[in-house]
Amino acid sequence: MLEETLVLFKNVRQPGYSGDLASYQSSGGYSALKKALKMKPEEIVNTVKESNLRGRGGAGFPTGLKWSFMAKGTGKPSYLVINADEGEPGTFKDREIMLKEPHMFLEGYMIGCYAIGCHHGYIYVRGEFVPAMQRLQEAIDECYQSGLLGDKIAGSDFKLDITLHPGAGAYICGEETALLDSLEGRRGQPRTKPPFPAVAGFNGCPTSVNNVETLMNVPSIINDGAEAFKELGPPNNAGTHLVSLSGHVNNPGVYELKMGVNLKDIIYDIGGGILGGKELKGVIPGGSSTPVLRPDEIDIPYDFDSLAKAKSMMGSSAIIVFNEDTDVVKFLYRIVKFYNHESCGQCTPCREGTNWSRLMLRQFVQQQGTPQQLKRLYRVGGNMMGTTLCPLGDACAMPLRAFLEKYPEEFQAHFAEAS
Amino acid sequence: MPTFYLDDQAIEFEPGEKIIAAAKRAGIDIPHYCYHPALSVVATCRMCLVDIVDMGNGRPAPKLMTSCSTDAAEGMKILSQNEKVVEGRELVMEFLLVNHPLDCPICDQAGECTLQDFSFEYGSGNSEMEYSKRVYGWRDIGTFVTLERNRCIHCTRCDRFTREITGTNEFGVFNRGHQLTVDTFTDQPMTNKFQGNMADICPVGCITEREFRFKKRAWKLKKTNSICNRCSTGCNITVEEDKNKVFRFKPRENQEVNQWWMCDDGRISYRDYGKNKNRFLQPMGRVKGNLVKASWDQIFEALKSRIADLSPNPNEVVALSDNFASNEELFLLKKMLADVFDSDKIFFPLRAWSQHETAYPIDSLITTDKSPNRAGAIALGLLGDEDDAKLKEALSETVKIAFILGNPFNEDNEILELLAKAELIVYIGTENNHWTEKADVLLPGQTHVEKEGTFTNKNSRVQRSNIAVKAPKETKPEWMILTELIQFMGKDADFHTSRAVFEAIGASNDHFKGMTFDSVGDLGSLLTSI
Amino acid sequence: MFSPEGQKKAEHILSRYPIKMNALLPILHLAQRENKGYLTPEWLEHVAEVCEVPATHVEGVATFYTMFKFRPLGKYHLQICTNIACGLCGGEKILEHVEQRLDLHAGHTREDGQFSIEEVECLGACGYGPVMIVNEEYHERLTVEATDKIIDELEKNTKELPEKILPLDRPLTA
Repeated sequence: MLEETLVLFKNVRQPGYSGDLASYQSSGGYSALKKALKMKPEEIVNTVKESNLRGRGGAGFPTGLKWSFMAKGTGKPSYLVINADEGEPGTFKDREIMLKEPHMFLEGYMIGCYAIGCHHGYIYVRGEFVPAMQRLQEAIDECYQSGLLGDKIAGSDFKLDITLHPGAGAYICGEETALLDSLEGRRGQPRTKPPFPAVAGFNGCPTSVNNVETLMNVPSIINDGAEAFKELGPPNNAGTHLVSLSGHVNNPGVYELKMGVNLKDIIYDIGGGILGGKELKGVIPGGSSTPVLRPDEIDIPYDFDSLAKAKSMMGSSAIIVFNEDTDVVKFLYRIVKFYNHESCGQCTPCREGTNWSRLMLRQFVQQQGTPQQLKRLYRVGGNMMGTTLCPLGDACAMPLRAFLEKYPEEFQAHFAEAS
Repeated sequence: MPTFYLDDQAIEFEPGEKIIAAAKRAGIDIPHYCYHPALSVVATCRMCLVDIVDMGNGRPAPKLMTSCSTDAAEGMKILSQNEKVVEGRELVMEFLLVNHPLDCPICDQAGECTLQDFSFEYGSGNSEMEYSKRVYGWRDIGTFVTLERNRCIHCTRCDRFTREITGTNEFGVFNRGHQLTVDTFTDQPMTNKFQGNMADICPVGCITEREFRFKKRAWKLKKTNSICNRCSTGCNITVEEDKNKVFRFKPRENQEVNQWWMCDDGRISYRDYGKNKNRFLQPMGRVKGNLVKASWDQIFEALKSRIADLSPNPNEVVALSDNFASNEELFLLKKMLADVFDSDKIFFPLRAWSQHETAYPIDSLITTDKSPNRAGAIALGLLGDEDDAKLKEALSETVKIAFILGNPFNEDNEILELLAKAELIVYIGTENNHWTEKADVLLPGQTHVEKEGTFTNKNSRVQRSNIAVKAPKETKPEWMILTELIQFMGKDADFHTSRAVFEAIGASNDHFKGMTFDSVGDLGSLLTSI
Repeated sequence: MFSPEGQKKAEHILSRYPIKMNALLPILHLAQRENKGYLTPEWLEHVAEVCEVPATHVEGVATFYTMFKFRPLGKYHLQICTNIACGLCGGEKILEHVEQRLDLHAGHTREDGQFSIEEVECLGACGYGPVMIVNEEYHERLTVEATDKIIDELEKNTKELPEKILPLDRPLTA
């Protein structure tokens, strides 16, 4: 029987834990910050590098490496910006962190700021998360009141301010360069790279953009060391991660698991099996943009590398389960409609391709599909792949192609009767 | 210089240069829409995709790359014609056409539309889009251009133009996704003085010149390199005509003068060359108070004998020219005065002027100095001062003969009155004006687009204008009129072309030393000494 | 155009950023709340002045994000997610039910100004679908019955709603 491994949520799972500053500190909170402030910033970057911590936002880029890319000696301020624009359908872990354990994240954030020399941090929270923002702001206020933020944080000489920045409803702002444009006060459209944010990010200054959960791992890495963190998972997939489990399972929610545990076990042991005792039809393993897996493909370890081997992705660790009653065509239509709605529109294949694909799928939903249409859908969908400026085109094309490849019979069932 | 290879052709580049820009310098055009050398790079149209098989480090790029945003690198090997790239362009073309109307037959851009051209060159030729396209209405969005958003391909050049080039920020990109659109703030009209350029850089027929709407198919227009003579900037242009009628002026790239741009006032000046009721088309002489038509020979004979009768002293002959006359015309007018009359009393209006300088270089195209050849007049040694004191002094003495070229000093009645006392006023120009009312002889010249010549702009750059349309039969270019006049008066002037006149200037005037039409070329060159 | 109180809040927001343009999103949120939930061309121009950016820029930004509105919303603005996870759990049924019950189509505001409905994309609470946001408050694991109960309270105006407030509204203690 698979069970949670509690590092990040060790306090959250305690009954009666409130998540405020006092309760976090009484369980050892902010000890890592104090330890870190006595270290040299490079030491922290190196420790995080050694820990093999990979970004939890979806791309899985090594965090320490990202920090080490930060341009130095530019004479400009450096920024560590938090991406809390959690928007990938299926993902709801960062909201859970902000609501239930804001201080562990803030502690990691402060350590990160110290490590890269950032004196004013910005947390970009998606605009809809008003309750989460309020909770997080309360936590930030507590830190200011107790001297954990401000001119001399935790009694050190390090000055740090943190500002919470509300988004305003745009999924694409989860892409780091779009997020920076949005934070600067522009339309949230992804930038062309290079330059990378580590060279020219927020207001043209060196910037690292990290996910909420990623930084939440930092306190335990500082306290327990890089080795202990690595030991928590298989090689190259260190640490625990927060898995968002949703859809047709009996116990949806956010669970803290080691990397590399069996995907099937997550669904049946942790998720308590399929809702209503129905048959499983498929699993989207890493958020709506990742290629779907059929029931016979889910007996695999759940980590970055194993999912890549299965020609899918772990993305933001968001598992969406759907059962035999699900109309796959309508389901895919809803996915594509989402990406169509969220396309920023600046680049051609995504702007036109997501809309065109949606229109074709709508025809299938209305039971008006044709074989030519099916071929065209596959072609048009695929043409968005690898031709756009940012990954949103891919994010729409990947599930589209995977569904068409893996459930052809479902689409054929939506042909117009005349054909 | 470092080198990369595009389809096996070695191309040198400046460090930091983008592939597309270096290729362009080497004469290779990679198809594109959103890229424009004057504007920031957005890399969004995706048309300029190329296959980088070696990034210069032995490794290929993971996917097709946009050549507008990718820095060239030493030893880079790029393919722009292979199957992958052809397929990539084809699919981008297909997506671009998904919502583009097929209204080319009524679109003014047709014939000079890169969407049309690339569709033909790189498109698949058929469309599988079977849903209705998005539809907007069209409307005027300023004093000079019309917006037809159905045709927009969202390259955002217009948006970047008012942000980065004019700094007026009147235009923006609104909404997102497939509802993305370009427009002005809350539909207010634009007021910048460079709107025509937005029509130029719009790769499709979304922004077009209102003046030109439904006037002429673009492919019928014949283009002649010239310069705008609305002010002393001398923007390089093409004069575009069909059947001897000028339809528009378009800017011609010259990095030293106007880059890619010109102002709307300059564009509108094409209107000056339409039908003109006020123009006189034959030589005329005043007989008993009335102007009568004559042949060129008759008028020259009459002029010769009248001048002989008057036999003026050198200081009794003056010439006045405006600043619209070319270097050649001014040179010959001065030569005539000197050779025939031994006079050096040749005047031009020298007016104070100012240049509005801002952070946006395009603003330097507009100056208060509306005289395209003021600098030429100075270099050629014509006389002038800001309050015309020298001229008035000369006119206060007895003046027997006055030559008037163009329409000078037309704002000052005092000069007209003083000069009206002259016994003989010879007018050379194209239009009736207050000078022709007083003139005894009218010699019909030609307009800016009908003749060739050189002009010296405010930065002392000598530039050529060329013959774009055929002039009316009985008229002659001013340089020819003046040459013939000198010959008639028995002096030496052996010029058969304006080219030869300019060479004579180059041989005799230090400022123009050694300059020829060829050395000036299409892009002009600075005065040899200033 | 900001009220004295709004002006104070705006100044506080501006003080948190290196350049004024950076504050555009929070200032737009603030302006929207000052104007009863939607933006007008006059407000866009005012925000442009406050943030020292061109008005076209503000319009471009405001029209990019779904949370900025240009028409009045209802006193109670119901956002119902029908996206992937909520869709699997019956989000569309909830939406249909609310539309029927209020006799109002998604995307519209009822004439009496009490309600407006919006069909929205993922709200980031996928494990707890179907989800509906009433003004800014999340309601999770909805059933038709639970939804009815919420609407009953809203119709009777007895439902207590959290104070509409964004984090940057309050001055920090620092």
